[in-house]
Amino acid sequence: MSTTTRSDGRTYDQLRDIMIVYEGLDGVDGSARFGFGQTQSLTSVSGPMEVRPNLEQPSQATLDISVRPLVGIAGTDSKALSTNLKAILAPALFLSHHPRTLIQIVGQALCGTESGSGLGSVGKGWNATLVASLINATSAALVNASSVPMKGVICAVSVGRFPSASAATLVLDPSEAELPHLVGGGCFAFLFSSALPLTPSSPDELPPCSLLWTNYTSSVVYDDTELRQAQALAEEGARKVWAAMKESVSNMERTAQCPAFNRFKSAKTESRVKKDTKNLSESEVDDDKMEI
Amino acid sequence: MAAATTSLSASTSAEDALRAQTFQRLHPKAYLERFLEENIRPDGRELDEWRDVSVHMGSISTADGSALVRLGDTTVVCGVKAEITEPELDSPEEGFIVPNLDLPAICSPKFKPGPPTEEAQVMSDRLNDVLVTAGVVSPSSLCIQPGKAAWVLYIDATCINYDGNAFDATLLAMVAALRNTRLPRARFDEETGRTVCSRKVQEPLQIGRLPIAMTFGIFDGMHVLSDPTSFEEPLLDTVMSVTMDDDGGLVSVTQVGLGVIGKQDILPQCITAAKYRCSILAQQLHTSS
Repeated sequence: MSTTTRSDGRTYDQLRDIMIVYEGLDGVDGSARFGFGQTQSLTSVSGPMEVRPNLEQPSQATLDISVRPLVGIAGTDSKALSTNLKAILAPALFLSHHPRTLIQIVGQALCGTESGSGLGSVGKGWNATLVASLINATSAALVNASSVPMKGVICAVSVGRFPSASAATLVLDPSEAELPHLVGGGCFAFLFSSALPLTPSSPDELPPCSLLWTNYTSSVVYDDTELRQAQALAEEGARKVWAAMKESVSNMERTAQCPAFNRFKSAKTESRVKKDTKNLSESEVDDDKMEI
Repeated sequence: MAAATTSLSASTSAEDALRAQTFQRLHPKAYLERFLEENIRPDGRELDEWRDVSVHMGSISTADGSALVRLGDTTVVCGVKAEITEPELDSPEEGFIVPNLDLPAICSPKFKPGPPTEEAQVMSDRLNDVLVTAGVVSPSSLCIQPGKAAWVLYIDATCINYDGNAFDATLLAMVAALRNTRLPRARFDEETGRTVCSRKVQEPLQIGRLPIAMTFGIFDGMHVLSDPTSFEEPLLDTVMSVTMDDDGGLVSVTQVGLGVIGKQDILPQCITAAKYRCSILAQQLHTSS
């Protein structure tokens, strides 16, 4: 692998700073914002809840996923992404535990590349890194909601390929600035679950993981060796994402920003929250509650 | 059924067929499992066998290029129409392609009349990705006058019979139709500001790589089925699609679902099988006309 540093000083296998915030949105059961540096997505999860009769399924919950880009109306590529997200989540959730219900997931991109006219433009709205951040935000939102039983957590990263004369130059988590120079790339989503069989390469403190979804495409010819390298690189990155997600779960209550969320907490956690907001007086906290 | 119980003679093959069809409708998964236990599929193929493919080009005279592809029973018709337009502002020296797949109600009872279904939209998006990334038609070859005029190719595919694996069939049809396309020679007239096309001289498109897709499915976490039919498709846990060009180089690999059987990763095995299949299909594409 090339050891040259990238435009922002990262090595080829270094992710940008991962940011996970549990937004505590009002009208939904769980929500989370996930970002690789500036590339961020916000996802909300509601369910299991009442389902319209035409969507009802007798033996499992219905997944209704909609995905919105930052700019413009959702086009064919957003529709395709929500279909892919449904296919990614179906094996990871225990949908048969809640038949005849609806699990509604809404994903929103919080950053977008410049959009073309829609004709002759490939992936201009949804690049691989944004897709990865959306998948991770969905996983975090499902953990935040804690209402849908999950087989495991899905962590995704993107891999990009720079043009080079000899072997492929693969980089993890390409940033917006690097995207125009790539000749290929894709997103890899892994399922981390203790239900999966252990592999010799999995480290002890993490559950075993398996590739769940990928869309690796390149305009330059590549072979399966490169695909394997890309997958291995992505697996390492996904492990780091999993570790970041695990750490964020222990901070979940503290990062919740909505005061109404705090209102229903137990006294013990309320005192912890009050300690954190020690700069705010009691009346100010009450005013925030009133606004809702 | 009452006739079978009252008569002492052996039941006729027609009644057996009806019973088998009823079982297939009511318990599709068990039906497929029974077949796979004997290492055969309901349509008589081996697990790694592909259906016969036939490609006919140039059947639609009103289109600039056309192709008809039959992949087993799945039939896709594709036509290419070229129009002249102004290039996009951020790429003034390039034309572009607009591929689209339509899955109308005529091809299968799964699709109802009305706006394009989710399946058609998703497949159109995937086809767009593959065709543009593989560079089947170089966008700069579609330019007539930088900033003023360029060709836009509307590649419209319609499925007239759906028996599974429409993606493979449609990609083959689109690539064949593009190979068959002939555009009139165009010249931009500076004085009038209009493009003039020759009635007599027609030139074929500058074709780059020819991507060919091969789709596999994993059933029940145990069996790998290549080229699934419309009966097998909804029963698959995982679908893997390998797109290669005619030289055997990979263009795109998509996997939806867990891709392991036991502890073994299936993707490398699929890529090897796809390479072999691709060489056969590429030969067929080159020899058909």
